[in-house]
Amino acid sequence: MAKTVLITDDTAFMRMTLKNVIEKNGYNVVGEAGDGEEAVALYRELKPDMVTMDITMPKMDGITAIKEIMKIDPGAKIIVCSAMGQKPMVIEALSAGAKDFLVKPFDAERVVESLRKISS
Amino acid sequence: MMNDAKLDFLKELANIGTGHATTALSQMLSGRLFQLVVPDAQMLPFDQAADYVGGLEQVIVGIFVVVSGDVRGHMAFLLPVDSALVLVRLLTEDDSGEINELARSALQELGNIMITSYLNALAKMTTLLMAPSVPGVAVDMAGAVWQSILAGAEVTDEVTVIRTEFFADGEAIEGHILFLPDDDDFKQIARMLGLEEV
Amino acid sequence: MTEVFVNMGQISAFKTQGILTTVGLGSCVGVTLYDDLAKVGVMGHIFLPRSRERDAGAPPGKYADTGIPAMIDEAVRLGAQRSRLKAKMAGGANLFPNLNANSTSIGTQNIEAVTEHLKKHGIAIIGKDVAGDYGRKMRFFVDTGVVTVTAIGKEAVKI
Repeated sequence: MAKTVLITDDTAFMRMTLKNVIEKNGYNVVGEAGDGEEAVALYRELKPDMVTMDITMPKMDGITAIKEIMKIDPGAKIIVCSAMGQKPMVIEALSAGAKDFLVKPFDAERVVESLRKISS
Repeated sequence: MMNDAKLDFLKELANIGTGHATTALSQMLSGRLFQLVVPDAQMLPFDQAADYVGGLEQVIVGIFVVVSGDVRGHMAFLLPVDSALVLVRLLTEDDSGEINELARSALQELGNIMITSYLNALAKMTTLLMAPSVPGVAVDMAGAVWQSILAGAEVTDEVTVIRTEFFADGEAIEGHILFLPDDDDFKQIARMLGLEEV
Repeated sequence: MTEVFVNMGQISAFKTQGILTTVGLGSCVGVTLYDDLAKVGVMGHIFLPRSRERDAGAPPGKYADTGIPAMIDEAVRLGAQRSRLKAKMAGGANLFPNLNANSTSIGTQNIEAVTEHLKKHGIAIIGKDVAGDYGRKMRFFVDTGVVTVTAIGKEAVKI
């Protein structure tokens, strides 16, 4: 059965782009969140195998969402997909529990590579 | 107070930041022919900035963020609606010629990536954290957009405007970048890069 | 008829006839004062609510607190009578509503400041088209006192 993914990004355009890439590579996108709060709620509900997480979002930012999801499930597999690639941010995200950090813009292959790596 | 040293320094930052932003933009539009004309920076009295872009009533797209962290301030990316539509077409394959919801979303993401790439470059050089907020997007008369940005950033005297020109898919795209750090924080940037007098 | 464009921070006036126009009212507020008997019309384009020390050399029309009195003085200079002056205002929008959602926008602050200062000087506001999330253009026809406000994708409004 295909691995399930929850996509989190505040722009519909990015969610659409990620969804296309991810589904084309054999994964099943089971949910889309527009902010950190929605991501946490959907994680609880859907229990996806993996999560892509943006950082800069309204209502609840990505770092907080990562922390909340890790509380629910310490084994959660979260990849950060954000334009904000400054060192302190990367360190904070990885410390919070993210397994990888992709700086936008990234190639489709890079996302897939990361998903494959963490799902194994 | 604005002076030559300050303008030169801002031009330096502009070159570096715009270089990174452009690389990011070209990556977003992968597979298309892409060139950058060297950006030029102008220092303008705030009430003339909008006119410089080409007419107060021209419809433009303005993407505006608040910057926080070690450096506080604002940043904006502005482009004429025609240029914006070219980019929308290249990003979404939608050539309806109107700024619909998807177009707005694509432009918001484009602005986010460009502005953040610019800040990432400066942050790396200065080791200062510069975090952008979720962007605001306005599609409206140039005069109103510029004025709202300048008021939001509390610019009351001069503003440095960086004009960039891109070529994607054979079409010319014009854009303007505004980097507006708060006065004290601007001095911090200068100091981190070894310039004391600005 | 002569048309004069009133830029950010400027104040312009006509007696008897002329068109005063301001484009680019985002968070800015365009204000008009009119004495319909003397046919004196003044327009200002207010940028921020309060003047500040570090911008001491600024034209008075840039800020609401210095702009309103300056507009009144200009009207009187051209022959208007203070007691006959009536005001109209347009603008004060917030083009980026999702930024700084927790604090009062500059547009709203400008509307409040202009309203307060007009009231302080005993001038009634007889027309307005303010707030929202879009830019406006304001045209003031001094021969008739008519003020029209236009915005992209919206019907023109007479205030």
